[in-house]
Amino acid sequence: MEYAQIEALRERHPAWRMLRATHAPLLLTVLGRFFVEEGRGASSEGELVAAPDDQLYAINTQDPANPRFVRTAAEYLADWAGPEAGFLRRFYPLGADEIHYDATPALEKAYAWVQGLAEQSFVGTESRLQTAVDLLRQIAQGTESDPAKRLDQLERRKHDIEREIDQLRQDPQAGLLDRTAVRERYQQFATTARELLADFRQVEENFRALDRSARERIATRQGSKGELLAELVHGRSMIDSSDQGRSFQAFYDLLLSTSGQEELSMLLDRMTGIEEVGADRRLRTVHHSWAEAAERTQHTVRSISEQLRRFTDDQVWLENRRVLDLVRQIETTALHLRDGELPDFGLELEETSIDVALPTDRPLFTVRPASEVNSDLEPVEAEEVDTSVLANQVVVDPARLATRIRALIPVHGTARLEDIISLYPLQHGAAEIVGYLALDEDDLEVTTHEHEETVIEYHEAGRHMRATMPRVEVTRR
Amino acid sequence: MTASGSSTSDRAVGDRVTAGRVTPERAVAVSAIRLMQGVVYQESDAWDDLVRHQGAVRDHFAVVGLEVVVDDDEGYAYLRTADTPEGENALPRVIRRRTLTYADSLLLVLLRKRLAEFESAGDPGQLVLTHDEIVEMIRLFLHRSTDEAREQHQIDASINRLVGMGFLRQLKDRKGEWEVRRILKAYVDAETLSDFSAKLAEYADAGSADESTADEGVGHAGAADESTADRPSEDI
Repeated sequence: MEYAQIEALRERHPAWRMLRATHAPLLLTVLGRFFVEEGRGASSEGELVAAPDDQLYAINTQDPANPRFVRTAAEYLADWAGPEAGFLRRFYPLGADEIHYDATPALEKAYAWVQGLAEQSFVGTESRLQTAVDLLRQIAQGTESDPAKRLDQLERRKHDIEREIDQLRQDPQAGLLDRTAVRERYQQFATTARELLADFRQVEENFRALDRSARERIATRQGSKGELLAELVHGRSMIDSSDQGRSFQAFYDLLLSTSGQEELSMLLDRMTGIEEVGADRRLRTVHHSWAEAAERTQHTVRSISEQLRRFTDDQVWLENRRVLDLVRQIETTALHLRDGELPDFGLELEETSIDVALPTDRPLFTVRPASEVNSDLEPVEAEEVDTSVLANQVVVDPARLATRIRALIPVHGTARLEDIISLYPLQHGAAEIVGYLALDEDDLEVTTHEHEETVIEYHEAGRHMRATMPRVEVTRR
Repeated sequence: MTASGSSTSDRAVGDRVTAGRVTPERAVAVSAIRLMQGVVYQESDAWDDLVRHQGAVRDHFAVVGLEVVVDDDEGYAYLRTADTPEGENALPRVIRRRTLTYADSLLLVLLRKRLAEFESAGDPGQLVLTHDEIVEMIRLFLHRSTDEAREQHQIDASINRLVGMGFLRQLKDRKGEWEVRRILKAYVDAETLSDFSAKLAEYADAGSADESTADEGVGHAGAADESTADRPSEDI
């Protein structure tokens, strides 16, 4: 690469700029986790804001005296999506009122690069050589047009397989991979699986770029109708017939074929079952993540093709052009008119709705009777009510206790509590004793002698009880 | 189970919605009502029923001289007054025609332009403009006035009228942001624009002719713009 090229990338490529950004660590943790690790597509602002919010809080509480990040999560997000940064896509989807964000391929790149900095314990080389050789073989076989040679190759493979079968018959251990070989393959699989997931964003972006270039070419086209139509037809097929389009379609078909799905499921199950691999649990369902990501991409492709088709529809396109020309004319005239008296006419349009308002639809004014309060409730029909609940409650009626005392003690007289109780045995146990203690009548005084002790015996719920307490006297004033 | 058996059970269901299924009669009725209330978009829940029962809905409105326009590509459907067949007297209008003020018209034209540009850029989703963007867009074409508060107020009034007509929609929970609705394209088409442009050009020519004869005509800035606020041009 040339110096100038690299310098330009450093200045302009969003991935590089992302790494140079002041808040790169925050950006990569928050967005990397949300979009890459958790494999999410376009998400609403509300969902996304929660992620940096938590992160900001966690970082800021490490040193509450001088927080490192003083702005709100939403502000950071808006910054990252802003035109100068361009780290996130920001848009309003159809039928949604909330801004949505989606990661850019640049984010995937930057995150993958940072992840790659963490050293791996060992780097597998053998399995990758195998893969490379396999690929070469596929190229060689896939491009060989001479049937004799292809037969020859197939014969050779058949021979190899027969030899393997023989070997296995003689030695049951033959052909088994050793630990290192398994781990190496797992490592390669895991990397490829993650890369594949990351690449969907690039695929989507590539489709968008194709779409944009098609639109540009159509919009700037200044030729005859025939040339224009040729251009349009070309534009329409561009997305599906591009390398990107065909590769993606093949991938999509392969992944979604039932046999492909089943085999993948089974193989992944098998892999996670092998202990020495120490497989990442998330990889167990990686095919679902692929399918989800591919589905999202497919959706984008579909809507892009649809929009492009509409855009290239020559009627729509000509109308659009005409509209823009007319608007330009109107703008020029309007600017000219700006300083004079403005016209008193405007567009004349039909309304977009029918206002059905029948005169009878509006009710006449009705006098509302003044509200009356009627507290006399009508007698209700007899109703079965379980009144036992009320009866079962322990209610100590202080008035009754006071009446007893008044009946018992003459004015200015004093009696001990245990004497009162011996005359009127406790019916509600301890609650009744407390009831006596809490008596709050003007003519009665309850005094407690802390130093003297007394014992009151009573029955509660069929059991014999004994209460040891300070002596209490009741005096009638 | 016989065919007659199933038809009686259908009849028993009548007009009710059962287990999420809607009877055709009801679907047609709801579609017709939704169309009368305003534009039906592809994103709305009324769309599928409307498309499925298009025929019946069309017949329903044809009686009163209305045409149902269903644009599958753009994803919207609306009502408009059908052309009167030759040799027949036009029916009284069901849908009111409205003459917009000059300022409202200008705003609508500029929004139409934004929509066209938005589509050429191939952006996904809907076009959303903030209050500031709208103000910035239209301000250039209005009188240079020192009374910014009044100007703001007039622009806000224009925005509200366009909201009322269904060309703008305020986003839920986001104050000061409006979606420019796609239906704008159907109403402000090349033909409408071309008429408006011609009328404007004529007005400008007459104005410059006036100017050469008498200079007094100019200078009453701001007197004309709000006085004619949306008056319906014809009654039902």
